[in-house]
Amino acid sequence: MDTVDVDVVIIGGGGAGLRAAIAAAASDPQLKIALVSKVYPMRSHTVAAEGGSAAVTLAEDSLEHHFNDTVSGGDWLCDQDAVEYFVEHCHEEMVQLEHWGCPWSRREDGRVNVRAFGGMKIERTWFAADLTGFHMLHTLFQTSMKYPSIRRFDEHFCCDLLVHEGSAQGVVVIDIATGEFSMILARAVIIATGGAGRVFRQNTNGGIVTGDGMALAYRRGVPLRDMEFMQYHPTCMPGTGLLFTEACRGEGGILVNRDGYRYLQDYGLGPPDPWPRKKAMELGPRDRLSQAFWHEQRKGRTIDTPHGPAVHLDLRKLGEKLLRERLPQICELARDFLGIDPAQAPIPVRPCVHYTMGGIPTDVNTAAPLPGLYAAGECASSGIHGANRLGSNSLAELCVFGRVAGEQAARFAREAPAPNGVSLRWQAQDARGSAVGLLARPAGGERLATLRDEMALAMEQGGGIYRLEPEMQATCKKIAELTERLPTVNLGDRSQCWNTEWLAAIELGFQLDVAQAMAHSALARRESRGAHQRLDEGLTERDDANYLKHTLASHVRAGPPAIGWSEVVITRSPPGVRAYGAAGESKEAAVG
Amino acid sequence: MADTRKIVLEVLRYTPGQSTAPTLQQYPIEFTDDMSVLQGLQQVKDFVDGSLTFRWSCRMAICGSCGMMIDGAPKLACRAFLRDFLPGPLRVEPLEHFPIERDLVVDISDFVDKLGRITPWIEPREPRSLEQGEYLQTPAQLERFESFSHCINCMLCYAACPQYGLDSRFLGPAATALLHRYNSDSRDGAQAKRMELVNSEEGVWACTAVGYCSEVCPKAVDPANAVNQNKTASAVSWFARFLPGRG
Amino acid sequence: MDGWWRRDPFFIRYMAREATAPFVAAYAIVLLVGIVSLARGADAYEEWLEALASTGWIVAHAILVAIFAYHTYTWFQIMPKTMPPVVVRGRRLAPEVITFAGIAAAVLASLALWILVAYGAP
Repeated sequence: MDTVDVDVVIIGGGGAGLRAAIAAAASDPQLKIALVSKVYPMRSHTVAAEGGSAAVTLAEDSLEHHFNDTVSGGDWLCDQDAVEYFVEHCHEEMVQLEHWGCPWSRREDGRVNVRAFGGMKIERTWFAADLTGFHMLHTLFQTSMKYPSIRRFDEHFCCDLLVHEGSAQGVVVIDIATGEFSMILARAVIIATGGAGRVFRQNTNGGIVTGDGMALAYRRGVPLRDMEFMQYHPTCMPGTGLLFTEACRGEGGILVNRDGYRYLQDYGLGPPDPWPRKKAMELGPRDRLSQAFWHEQRKGRTIDTPHGPAVHLDLRKLGEKLLRERLPQICELARDFLGIDPAQAPIPVRPCVHYTMGGIPTDVNTAAPLPGLYAAGECASSGIHGANRLGSNSLAELCVFGRVAGEQAARFAREAPAPNGVSLRWQAQDARGSAVGLLARPAGGERLATLRDEMALAMEQGGGIYRLEPEMQATCKKIAELTERLPTVNLGDRSQCWNTEWLAAIELGFQLDVAQAMAHSALARRESRGAHQRLDEGLTERDDANYLKHTLASHVRAGPPAIGWSEVVITRSPPGVRAYGAAGESKEAAVG
Repeated sequence: MADTRKIVLEVLRYTPGQSTAPTLQQYPIEFTDDMSVLQGLQQVKDFVDGSLTFRWSCRMAICGSCGMMIDGAPKLACRAFLRDFLPGPLRVEPLEHFPIERDLVVDISDFVDKLGRITPWIEPREPRSLEQGEYLQTPAQLERFESFSHCINCMLCYAACPQYGLDSRFLGPAATALLHRYNSDSRDGAQAKRMELVNSEEGVWACTAVGYCSEVCPKAVDPANAVNQNKTASAVSWFARFLPGRG
Repeated sequence: MDGWWRRDPFFIRYMAREATAPFVAAYAIVLLVGIVSLARGADAYEEWLEALASTGWIVAHAILVAIFAYHTYTWFQIMPKTMPPVVVRGRRLAPEVITFAGIAAAVLASLALWILVAYGAP
């Protein structure tokens, strides 16, 4: 097995991984940096983010406002020290991207334009039409090419994290094109592998979003935090789950039910102004909007489509010109996939799984509980999203905490001892053995896709917008059963070269571990908060007395995870009532 | 669920070092009208033949992974719909002009190397600190380069370019479009450096204005326009040498 | 890559366009000969005109008109891809507009020339 020695290895070449790589390279040109990605970096799922990235910009806005929106949006499960750091550094990161060439949409005077977003009190979302993630990713990727100290391992699949005497010291990777294994030894490891939305059935995520990094850390003893919080995005395409950005509503689009009625006013989000009122109606937070859909469906007021119930996202009043300028990709998706021109007809939409709020727990320095290990982006639980993420906070997070991760890992690497090559080689051999073992099994058995589909269905049933104890227990049981069935799966492809069936089997192993952490964390949280809503009697309300704390799911060999708890960091915003619409405005007026 | 129809996918299979020659394998599938070619291939991989190999991820024509020859033309599999290829069979092959790594997966490292050589980052015309905030750039200045920044690196234009097929030293459509994107950005000052590449053997003069690259581009980037604008720029810079004071 | 151009109708049209170019160049020489004859005097010019009035040349002209029409059409079709963006009232001019304007200008110029030749200068 080849060995590569570097100072910092980064797993994941999306927004966070690239930002970390650039920060590490810029902080010390002598450092050797390895950037490992299972796809070419520009294919990473950051590319699909549409709406924008938050940063306090306008004169009438303030860091305090962004902080309050984020903390109340997260139903007070945010670590407020992390949120403080985050809101303070968003703007400089957006400016940094601008200096690197990101084509932000502009005002007539040449300044960067900002748009309204759900749960945000004032317009503060920087955007590049509705291709914001795409432009940020390509800007970061192309800028990263400026740094010769970043050695990329494109299309290399990371199958294990190497740990020696309680510190992360490298990874094992498979070159996808050849099937050859290498060991990358490093003084510090950054995980930036994104979320795990593909464990659910209808989701907005790309095929690569399989929670690899979360599972790698989890298996090495790092607990996963707040995994019960999965965000359902309220406006997705029925069937495929493809995303129609929140910016549709930020620009003035409305949601109506089968009667053409703006139903959100029935769920504490009114009044239904004809113009987009901040933090009200369609600009409420995603958890509330997805929950409202669920109720509408129950009342029989949704629209039937070949792919199940939907409501209408009506963009007609924006007009052709604004739609083409601000939402070109939305127009393209509606036209190509649904045969609809949004200027002429409303788009059928429904909530689908979109974002993993939980992940590898990190402090303000992005350090995970394992020395030498850092995490940034969706795979991390940085503490800024709490129980529900606000749209446009995650793209900003990639940059703010991606940079921190790069700098902190570089600092750590300068002081850390060299990795223990001998011990790690044994570990790497074991990792190769178990990966290759999958290919050595006799033919026969179940298809991989059968297991994958059963997992996704079980997660949808027990981890939906509203959750019930018996269904959640059934999901836990199902995931355990699938984990047992996984080793008997039939892999027809025995080739070393580009064996995507084999890699998908390894990914499914990652997914089942992450799914298990999600399902058991959800069961343990006996309250309703943010994206975790329970219908069980006595558990339908937030319970700060008992559950103002993070769940920590720890991996247990051959058994359900152990669920522990940790304190939520509260610096200045004590838990309060989460109100939107007119009620929210009168509450804010009373406070301030 | 909507009605299903039938079509046969005729997919090129090849593993260098293992197969003696590329072969076509037929997979009959059932599909609904809203299914893409990508979904058809996924159906085959999931339930018929797990060894069929192709790249994909986002499913929404933005990650650029699933470019392939579909019915002889370069297309994104996620944005081509099975209903448009009835009665079939529908031929699916790897992108032209690239070495095959396996089945529908081609080696695009040549493009990624080229991308690295066009100076694909801003070298500031005027340095500016973060504290000074963003550069001012009017919507009109943005418009000058914005469409060229829409390139998703899907490689359809390279598969469409006969010149690249004849001699892969040619910088090619997408890399030139991105070069032009930076050269047309009001914030950038590295035009002279990039023009050396434009003027070189591998630069724009290898293009014979076939124009198919712009036809197949799924994002309306119009790389042919970028290449040809740079022919003009290249010619102007050549003649400018003879002007007094330009030595 | 042998025979690459037969693979796609787009390439066939491209090759047809390229194939018309030598005819355009060749006819430029014919016209140049006309100008040289004119410079050499009225007799030489009349001789050149008479040569062009032969049956062979008339058949050739009929074919050349078709070739030139195709060349003109494809030339304007590719034109938007070769020029910097034209911005009119803050919006980029669509390629179809440029192509149409070019073809219209060519048709009008040809008509004007034909009228001039047929009915003489004022």
